[in-house]
Amino acid sequence: MAFLEISNIVKDFGGLVANNNVSFQIEQGEIVGLIGPNGAGKTTLFNCIVGYYKPDSGKVIFKEKDITGLRPFDTNRAGIGRTFQVMKVTTGMSVIENVMVGAFCRTDDRHAAQSEASEVLNFLGLGSVKAYYLNELPIAMQRKVGLARALATKPELLMLDEVASGLNHTETDELVLLLRRLTAEKGVTLLLIEHIMEMVMSVSHRVIVLDYGEKIAEGLPGEIVKNEDVIKAYLGEKYAKNH
Amino acid sequence: MTLIDALLQGILMGLLFALVALGLNIIWGVMDIVNFAHGEFLMIGMYTTYWTSLLLDIDPLFTLPVAALVGVLLGIASYYGLIRYLLRGPAIAQLFGTFGLMLFLRYLAQFLFGIDYRIIQKGILIGKSLSIGPFIFDWTKLAAGILSLFAFAFVYYFLNKTKTGKALKATSINKEAASYMGIRTDKMNAIAWAIGGGTVGIAGGLLANFYYVYPTVGLLFVMIAFACVALGGFGSIKGVFFAGLLVGILEMVFPVFGALVNSDFLGPHFKFTVVYLTYFIIVVFRPQGLFGWKN
Amino acid sequence: MEKLKDAFDFRDFSRAEQIGLIIFSIFLLIFPWLGSGSFVKAVMIQFLLFSLFGMGWNTIGGYGGQVELGKAQYVGIGAYTVALAMVWWNIPFWVSMPIGILLAVGYSFMIGYPLFRLKGHYFAIATICTSLVLQDIFANWKLVGASKGIELPIHDHPDFLYMQFKSDTYYYYFIMVLFYAALFYMNWFRRSKLGYQLRMIKDDEDAAESLGIDIRWCKIKAYTIASAFVAVGGGFMAVYNLYIDPASVMDLDLSIKIALMAMLGGAGSLWGPIIGAAFLVPLDRFLGSWLGGHKGLVGLDFMIYAMLIMVVSAYQPKGIWGIIEQFRRKGS
Repeated sequence: MAFLEISNIVKDFGGLVANNNVSFQIEQGEIVGLIGPNGAGKTTLFNCIVGYYKPDSGKVIFKEKDITGLRPFDTNRAGIGRTFQVMKVTTGMSVIENVMVGAFCRTDDRHAAQSEASEVLNFLGLGSVKAYYLNELPIAMQRKVGLARALATKPELLMLDEVASGLNHTETDELVLLLRRLTAEKGVTLLLIEHIMEMVMSVSHRVIVLDYGEKIAEGLPGEIVKNEDVIKAYLGEKYAKNH
Repeated sequence: MTLIDALLQGILMGLLFALVALGLNIIWGVMDIVNFAHGEFLMIGMYTTYWTSLLLDIDPLFTLPVAALVGVLLGIASYYGLIRYLLRGPAIAQLFGTFGLMLFLRYLAQFLFGIDYRIIQKGILIGKSLSIGPFIFDWTKLAAGILSLFAFAFVYYFLNKTKTGKALKATSINKEAASYMGIRTDKMNAIAWAIGGGTVGIAGGLLANFYYVYPTVGLLFVMIAFACVALGGFGSIKGVFFAGLLVGILEMVFPVFGALVNSDFLGPHFKFTVVYLTYFIIVVFRPQGLFGWKN
Repeated sequence: MEKLKDAFDFRDFSRAEQIGLIIFSIFLLIFPWLGSGSFVKAVMIQFLLFSLFGMGWNTIGGYGGQVELGKAQYVGIGAYTVALAMVWWNIPFWVSMPIGILLAVGYSFMIGYPLFRLKGHYFAIATICTSLVLQDIFANWKLVGASKGIELPIHDHPDFLYMQFKSDTYYYYFIMVLFYAALFYMNWFRRSKLGYQLRMIKDDEDAAESLGIDIRWCKIKAYTIASAFVAVGGGFMAVYNLYIDPASVMDLDLSIKIALMAMLGGAGSLWGPIIGAAFLVPLDRFLGSWLGGHKGLVGLDFMIYAMLIMVVSAYQPKGIWGIIEQFRRKGS
């Protein structure tokens, strides 16, 4: 069975069908990109998987267990981590304390949590800012802290919500390397929502495309960029026909 | 007291409760601030009527405009003097700020007037009652109910038919959008507090006609107001009206049931427990109240 | 045990704070020998008691970020359990107090479960409601003395089984021990898993949920801990005052005072409740006794608190400790 199986997810917001019968599978160790124009239903799907929303119908099966409709803390404990597109910049806890909260998901002991958090921060290159507070860091670093936090919960599947937005070329390249290391060294499977085409095409093993709530394409990055339906969705009929 | 009697008395009291809760509802709706001092505004309205009628030797009903005016001024003063500063802070600070205002007013009253219970004894309607068939109504309560109804209708008209009123409603629905339309939020807030203070001032004036006046009377009524606002749905004017009636009826009917069932625990001293429990149950199990849309 | 070490570890506080704590502790230890009058002793006992209450409240109100105004009901549960146990069955304090704590814990689970569906104002008002309901019940329940309350029988002094003493000094050391127990517990708590989780919930609930935190359950746990603390204080009140009634142990005013002291001092910090109590208890007592002589000035003390609350809410919601920290950061 697949590592993560999404089957026939439907999510209707009183008239607006955000997800219309979306199905796909992800294998362990893959990096899968989820793309589509604005309003395609990517974030909704995301939220249905982690549990912020309960899908109206359909199933989410993770590691052969049905996790459909479970609350976010349950899906997290089952092994799914997530980052947020917009991180709330808080001043109550320092960077390492933030990451320790993630680590506490897997341990009850403060010292274990602290060392786990340190390790994750070092892995991400944030070792020097452990004692800082989020509002004292630039956005790229804040994002990384969010990533560290989620990583500390030792997820087997990590879902990243537009983790590359607002980053410059150098930072984006660094991110791509980091994500590959995550899969290679830590064995984390990744599912990314992305708008930055360059980034998602260069890092993903496979890409899934949504438009108007439906899956319109799925395949290798090289195939997707040539796919007529995808081009139509992004650029309109004109460009698809002429291609 | 028979059940029907209780029902009718309950409706009368309910009209007054609805008026008390109206001001709280408006402030809550427009600003999303809970005015914990609302009961104290009521208390001040009561004292205003008491002292004005006593010192000027006029019937307490004629002092209503004074109570209303004092209420309006109190509301505006509270807004510009305190509330505006609280808006900058977290919700916890707002909660505590209005709490502080509540304590301040309560103990100011205690300081100025002492802790004695007072009651108005001179007035055209005091002590007189009206008999309709088998039912007897105190004229003071009857007048309170009827005048509350008028006050309510007046505010309803204001909110729905006048330009300022509609601006107020717009702000309560969506503050930002309203401000883009040129409606100054700050001014709307002040108006909300003015109306809130004014209506509860009138309610206090009406209540003082038949209820004891003392510095801590506010707590009881603010809890009733909370229950009404929760029951009616935060932000709904119609809702708070019907909720007020319902609470009034509940409060009156409950001890009658108790008497019928002859239970120690269902006696009249528990009628306010019913109100508190009502709030709790509504807010936990049906947060949108009976009519509300703003949660 | 590793865990216990955390309770006594104050090393992550600044030098100044550590020294302050030591000096303060020495002062507390030798206080009874400083030869102050019974009035001052009573004030100190009240200070320690309210610090205890405040620290308890702090778990849910400060670290948890949910202002609740119904703590007095648990003071009442603690007080009444100890009192009734003694009056009815002659049960000593050391047996009745744990029972009181269990009852408080049980009751708070029961109420907490539906209560924590709410947030913010709605939650605060609901806590007031539950407290008023309980107070109403006790004030009318003849079995427990209704509004007349309960008088505890006086035993020969000193009695360590029933915790009755003639001299205030004994009570002082008793409450002091409870105070330190609370302090060490809170020191451990703020660095425990629950402490971290609560702080995350307070900061960013969505993130907290995504990190495996069951928000409602955490809040209920904190609420229950707070109730246990406060129940112990109630038990103390029963044996200290030898008289309890709904007005003295369950009143809304008591709930407000508890929350107020913690917030004024600085909710969410370890020292906050203590600072708040240090400020307000003497103010309350001294003002009260000074004004008590002047009949016309009744209520002035509360008016002053109220003004304090308003000013603090408007300018520094983090309380006195917040102001101190602001100065520290400016300096560094």
